Amino acid sequence: MKKLVKVAVPLIAISCTPASFAEIRLNGFASIHMSSLNSDNGGTPFSQYNEGTFSFKDESLFALQASSDLGDGLTATVQFVGEGKDDFAIDARWAYLSYTLSDTHTLSAGRFANPIFYQSEYEKVGFAHNYARLPKAVYAGFDFSTIEGVALDSNFYVGDYTLTTKLLYGNWDGSVFLSATGQDEFFGLKNLLSARATLAGDGWNLFAGSFIAEMEGGTIDQNAIIGAAAPGIAAAQALGATQAQVDNFIDSVKWDGKDGIYSYLGFNVDRNRFIVDFEFASYGVKDSSDGWNDTWFFGVGYRLSDTLAVIVHTEENKQDGADTDFLDGVSNPVLFATGAAIKEALSFSEYEGTGVTMRYDFHPSATLKADYFMGESTRTDIGDYSIFSVGVDLVF
Amino acid sequence: MKKLLISLALLLSSTAQAGVAVIVHPSNASSLGQAEISRIFLGKMKSYPGGGPAVPINLAEGSGPRGEFEKAVLKKSASQIKAYWSKLVFTGKGTPPKEVANDAEVINLIKSNPNLIGYVSDTAVTGDVKVVATF
Repeated sequence: MKKLVKVAVPLIAISCTPASFAEIRLNGFASIHMSSLNSDNGGTPFSQYNEGTFSFKDESLFALQASSDLGDGLTATVQFVGEGKDDFAIDARWAYLSYTLSDTHTLSAGRFANPIFYQSEYEKVGFAHNYARLPKAVYAGFDFSTIEGVALDSNFYVGDYTLTTKLLYGNWDGSVFLSATGQDEFFGLKNLLSARATLAGDGWNLFAGSFIAEMEGGTIDQNAIIGAAAPGIAAAQALGATQAQVDNFIDSVKWDGKDGIYSYLGFNVDRNRFIVDFEFASYGVKDSSDGWNDTWFFGVGYRLSDTLAVIVHTEENKQDGADTDFLDGVSNPVLFATGAAIKEALSFSEYEGTGVTMRYDFHPSATLKADYFMGESTRTDIGDYSIFSVGVDLVF
Repeated sequence: MKKLLISLALLLSSTAQAGVAVIVHPSNASSLGQAEISRIFLGKMKSYPGGGPAVPINLAEGSGPRGEFEKAVLKKSASQIKAYWSKLVFTGKGTPPKEVANDAEVINLIKSNPNLIGYVSDTAVTGDVKVVATF
């Protein structure tokens, strides 16, 4: 209730603004999907799904965006989202001010999207893309897709092509679901610096982007890393490991103070009825116990008509759990083995899969999507799994 | 024979599809091709090549000339255009052009504002506006 009040007050304040001050533009998007995830061993690879049941909540959401042109290039925008996976609790996802510096540059400040990957900024807007859900191997749904900071969006012409860029500085703290502990773990991203570029031609885009941020370890360090290492540390100390060796070991495995780096590149084509999508992403916490992630998806599709498209895609999420370079300074064999085991535990969840999606634009503002996805997870509580969904994405 | 030719000409003229004319204010001296017009209507270009802000005016969804314009100039279907603008609107990067109900309204707006650019059926063009391209 408190959350609703927190959201309602600014919403009412905006809607009560006298028309003579500024025109309020309201837009929204929604997805109403019925989905079902089934796995061989009963586990679920993505925390938003309830295994073995048909659900209208797992992938459904509603969103309302209000923006107002305040004059002289200044715009205020706020976006509220309620997702089924959170019992449709309303969250003020974005709230920012934009200032148009020129035809080329726009400066924004506040709480807005962090472009972790190419389509992260609109990954919740189902109508905007052709998939029932953007491939999870890349679009894992990290909570830090929304951050607080300042961003510069720019738009250039390069001959017949358009080059769009974004530079961003920000901070984030929150939680992500960690497979290794089976629960949400808290951590932070400090002094995040992000850069991205997209070169666009007639029906194609070529893109790349990256961000670097200083990690704040939070409960990931406390629970999943240092907490999990406690028995190994005790065993090493019983066998004569010094406090200096233990401290050096903790420095090697922890995330706090290390660089988190997320990068992606790829291309897409939507021309002459053919659709091709490819994106590769690579990310992790450098010089730590985090297993480096290499993920990608590739999709090909065909527009059977102006309103009907079919896309087949394949995706893979791989984590490097065997690399022990981060333990180079750890000479004690028990501590070394403990560090290697923690990394392996943090990297044990990999998966790959193939899916087919049909998109039917039955209305100018609404599309019907149906998909079937078959995947295989390395987690023993999951094994082979499938996701089926059918639903409507709309904008208004 | 003469009657037959006249009948044939009338038949052809009645079945020929009307084109789309892209129009600006008569004082607008900019030279605009398909690429520039497409950029303006997709929000990628905000000024005319000759200077001055370029403000596009769209026809209402579903109107005949709009579909032809989107196919011929923007090279996208109506739903592709809608998806394109959804990406921009919900990332704060742009808003779609303002929409008006019919050709006459487009002409009325453009004849009184040198910044505007729009499109109408080529049969609807009047001397109040300047045609910069036809498709």
